[in-house]
Amino acid sequence: MAVVGIPILENLYPVTMDMWPLEAKEFNRIWQFYENLKQGRFTTTKCKDCGKVAYPPRVICPECYSENLEYIDLPKRGKVIVFSEEVRGVPLGFEAPLIHAVIDLGVEPVRRLLSRIINCPAGYLKEGDEVQLVVFQIPSHPIEKGKQGTIMAERVFFAFEPVKKP
Amino acid sequence: MARRAVILAGGQCKWGVREAHLVDLFQEAAKACFEDIPTLKPKDVDGLIVATSYSGRCSFQVNTAPVIAERLGLKPTSICTRCDTLCAGGSTGIILAKGLVEAGVADIVMVAGGEKLYTPQKWEVFYSELASVDHDWDGAQGMGLPPPFFALTAKEHMKYYGTKKEDLAMVSVTNYNYAVDNPVAQMQKALTLEEAMNAPEVVPPLTLYDCCPITDGAAACIITTDEIAKKFTDRPLVYIRGTAQVCLNSVTANFPGEHLADWKHLRIAAEKAYKSAKVAPSDIKVAQTHDCFSISEIIEVEELGFCKKGEGGAFCSSGQIKIGGKVPINTDGGLLACGHPFGATGIRQAIEIMKQLQGRARHQVKDADIGLTHNLSGANAEHTIIIYGREPVK
Ligand SMILES: [Zn+2]
Repeated sequence: MAVVGIPILENLYPVTMDMWPLEAKEFNRIWQFYENLKQGRFTTTKCKDCGKVAYPPRVICPECYSENLEYIDLPKRGKVIVFSEEVRGVPLGFEAPLIHAVIDLGVEPVRRLLSRIINCPAGYLKEGDEVQLVVFQIPSHPIEKGKQGTIMAERVFFAFEPVKKP
Repeated sequence: MARRAVILAGGQCKWGVREAHLVDLFQEAAKACFEDIPTLKPKDVDGLIVATSYSGRCSFQVNTAPVIAERLGLKPTSICTRCDTLCAGGSTGIILAKGLVEAGVADIVMVAGGEKLYTPQKWEVFYSELASVDHDWDGAQGMGLPPPFFALTAKEHMKYYGTKKEDLAMVSVTNYNYAVDNPVAQMQKALTLEEAMNAPEVVPPLTLYDCCPITDGAAACIITTDEIAKKFTDRPLVYIRGTAQVCLNSVTANFPGEHLADWKHLRIAAEKAYKSAKVAPSDIKVAQTHDCFSISEIIEVEELGFCKKGEGGAFCSSGQIKIGGKVPINTDGGLLACGHPFGATGIRQAIEIMKQLQGRARHQVKDADIGLTHNLSGANAEHTIIIYGREPVK
């Protein structure tokens, strides 16, 4: 006998509880950032009117409110300023060791970018180490598209990894 | 004559791991609040501000204010709303209530905050933490739970200013020992330096007692004007002299300081709060600073101007935050020992400062006439300060 309640969610993907961003064009006007990530590019928006580069990307310039923005490439390599390593009690969705680092990508506004460091065992990373961008697939989620039925939105996300392999 | 806001009364329920629903906790807190002022009745309250952040996720309830109003038997006519500024929610509610009563929009406002964070499965509350930072950027980097961020902060404070693990431990020892006789605190444990130094690791250099626990709880207080308050009480009036709430960033990449131990946004908040209250840091006799982590209190005493930048570790570990020290801080146990049900914390802090200024605190600071509360919220995204005094701003 079926129990009425949460089992109604069986086989359904609760997208509104997703740990990852909703990146699809249908739900996000900065979808270009994620499309660029899929090409291995780490980008953000620059205002064509006043020149302000903002991170994360926007749909308006936070300086002059212009909508006349373009995507520019950010450096994909940087240096570790400070880092932390979490070995126990890592939250659901992430694996131990969960390493976080403040990274200097050498240009504003990403002189102190906070990122996860992956492909790196506990105890390996040092301050001053070089790290580089890694792009990886994350789970697709369904979008109801009316008569077309339900499509799956493919997604990627990013972290950084040591340049010198462990 | 100008209407001047005061905090009239307040109370909280027992904080900790509670076998109770969110709305139960609010009812217990409201009862404790009215017990603190027996002349005031629920029918006298014309406004309600509810501070809660996790009700949407952990209790599956948004639009919380009508739910709480009904359960508390309140029938607000001037304001009935909710605010969500996570760890600063209670203080935000007090700032809003001050503005409303001073503007004449409301007369007697209850500010009530609370959270139910122990869910039937622990992973649900941890998972929900991904929403408490900038979800798409810092949350997606696994920064939901705050210990890694404050571990980075502690490492930078150690690097720039030579702060030691012992300094962090002494904050925990001091605050835990303030709470030993506080019956509504989550932790009532006499903590020794040795225990704090040998505690299990969380995220190095932070260990168990450096981090505030996860807490169920609620608190409530009454904000009104001095003239109205006099009809209900003979206690000394406690005025809300000045406030500030500063936000300069959300995503951690845009942190406003030179490094994570440089809290420029708190300095700006402090300057504004002191100016609006017409006091100086040296006038503060007792304070409640946001000790979500031991390192936070160390940086807060610096940026609030109680000591020089970089000397917060020595200030705390040399007993300046104890009774008899320069500025006794978190005299009821703070977040570290009382616990931290986000929306309730600012109200707990306000209640302790009110009691200190009325001379009825458990660990009383002699002749306390000016007190301060402070919250940081999110991934150090916002700073909130309220300054209370026995006299109004003239
Ligand atoms: Zn612009």
